[in-house]
Amino acid sequence: MNRRSFKGYAYLAPVLVIMLVFTAYPLVKAIFMSFCENYSIINGSYKGINLENYKDLFDDKLFIRALGNTTLYVAFVVPLSVVISLIIANLLNSHIKFQGLFQTLYFLPYVTSVIAIGVVWRWIMNSNYGLLNYILGFFGIGPIGWLSDPKYSMTSLIIFAVWKSLAFNIMIFLAALQGISPDLYAAARVDSTPRLRVFFKITVPAMMPIIAYAFIMGIINAFKVYNEVFSLFNSKAGPVNNEAITIVYYIYDQFYNNYKYGIAAAGSVVLFLLIMLFTMIQRLPGRIKAKKEAAQK
Amino acid sequence: MEIKILNLTKAYGDFKAVDDMNLSVADGELIGLLGPSGCGKSTTLFMLAGLTEPTSGQIFFGDKDVTRVPPEDREIGLVFQNYALYPHMTVLDNITFPLINRKVKKAEAIERAQEMAHLVQLDGLLNRKPSALSGGQQQRVAIARALVKKPQVLLLDEPLSNLDAKLRVETREEIKRIQQEVKITTLFVTHDQEEAMSISNRIAVMNRGVVQQYDAPQAMYLNPINSFVAQFLGMPQINMFEAKVTGRGVELNGVLLRTREQLDAAGKKVADGTYQMGVRPESLELCEDGFTVKADSVRMTGRDLLIFFKIGTTEFRALTHSDLQLRAGDDLCLRARKNSLIIFDADGSALVKC
Repeated sequence: MNRRSFKGYAYLAPVLVIMLVFTAYPLVKAIFMSFCENYSIINGSYKGINLENYKDLFDDKLFIRALGNTTLYVAFVVPLSVVISLIIANLLNSHIKFQGLFQTLYFLPYVTSVIAIGVVWRWIMNSNYGLLNYILGFFGIGPIGWLSDPKYSMTSLIIFAVWKSLAFNIMIFLAALQGISPDLYAAARVDSTPRLRVFFKITVPAMMPIIAYAFIMGIINAFKVYNEVFSLFNSKAGPVNNEAITIVYYIYDQFYNNYKYGIAAAGSVVLFLLIMLFTMIQRLPGRIKAKKEAAQK
Repeated sequence: MEIKILNLTKAYGDFKAVDDMNLSVADGELIGLLGPSGCGKSTTLFMLAGLTEPTSGQIFFGDKDVTRVPPEDREIGLVFQNYALYPHMTVLDNITFPLINRKVKKAEAIERAQEMAHLVQLDGLLNRKPSALSGGQQQRVAIARALVKKPQVLLLDEPLSNLDAKLRVETREEIKRIQQEVKITTLFVTHDQEEAMSISNRIAVMNRGVVQQYDAPQAMYLNPINSFVAQFLGMPQINMFEAKVTGRGVELNGVLLRTREQLDAAGKKVADGTYQMGVRPESLELCEDGFTVKADSVRMTGRDLLIFFKIGTTEFRALTHSDLQLRAGDDLCLRARKNSLIIFDADGSALVKC
């Protein structure tokens, strides 16, 4: 190593060391732990290296439920959030009064603590005196035990999470909308394009890259859902018996409450593989398209 | 379709982008809206398109007052400066888009699009995306898209400004050809006087929101109504200078450009005094009995030789044929060709040509 590159590495060192200690090492260690039977975090001892943790994991009905809940959560929250944000962003981007005010309002959830939002939503969704049931009451819909009835736990969680995730998506969609040439819209007007067709033929295609980004980020974040469950159900994973448990909640529970470090690590590895798989699947259409275009040229 | 613009004004606060404009266009004419940036020519075009709402005044297409008619109901085709092609659609989809919007059957739309593509010479490129086309081809797609719905009026905003020099000349001929084939009333905006003169039937020169002159290119070039038009048309620019009218005639730093008899023969009595005048570089010709000047520098432009010289302290340019053997420092004898000296009055309007 010559002097110049030594100096370069010296500048990089602080970040590299922090990354190695807090990102790379835990990653490797967690994968290792997941293969250790009865791993003890106190003295690092274990009974043997095998697949026992994975076997226990998939034998555990609670993990299977967590897996199902998380998949359900991802399947509903991400598309709903993207579609709703797309519509709201478009409305916000049209020439309305107080546009700036609305943009700020919609962004507020993003900068507010999930715990604080959870407190508010616990009140909104309260079965006896909550705002949601009060409003539904006008339409003759009887009080629903949003947070107390196990039947509704996942529905409530999804509603809450969609609302919570709108802010970020709306923000990036607005930025993308403002990048579309106004001439395209003027041309569409002259071409007497119906509004919906303008949206689907001009706006959406122009926003496709950012929509794809919102999907990927949304799915990665949704698979890691924990805070939303914790705050909505007041630090539990559902009203009675873990009805709304998610993978991360399960991992946390195994690690901190049950001291099953190996199983928690195995759960993390499964989650990691799931996220990787979905991200790869999502990037597939883009890659195929890029290849096609390259072939055309 | 005839177009009539009556007292059209567009104001942004105190600033009048277009100020009390009156213009009429005959059916099938090709009109150039010419002027420097910010003169209101594009604003005028967008008011004709219906994308900009006038502050006051009226626009008639034929007998119909379209002032408050939205763009989609005006039967216009509009070509944007940057073409505004829909980037995610193929050329064919771009051209059929306005037809599909108007509920034309798909098979018919495709047939009409193919016809139009043939007219603008885009055959074989219909399945490409705009990004895979050259600037000139994109321009043709934009024109085809504007024309496919058979509009009554075609509007083009700076149609040639995004093209390179060679393509610009080709494309302007192309626009003229297409316009004549379709026989559509066309207005186009440009800041390039050569472009406007070469293809327009008539040109409206605008400045500060006001139409200065509306005339056929040649008439306008030979008889500019004021000093602005005189200076805006022509490349190299007209020589503008201040000279005296005296009992002897038109005098500039001791050089007699016109005798009093010649001046009076132009038909208008010009009082003695100092006037602004203009003479085009190509109107200065070599002769035996003119005034003698020394060439400060000589520039070869290909077809012409551009000679820079001074009369007193006033700088002039003269154009001569490029086979003239002349070097900087050489003396030459010049005169201003008959009927080429334009005298302007104090407010800049042309007084007399002699």
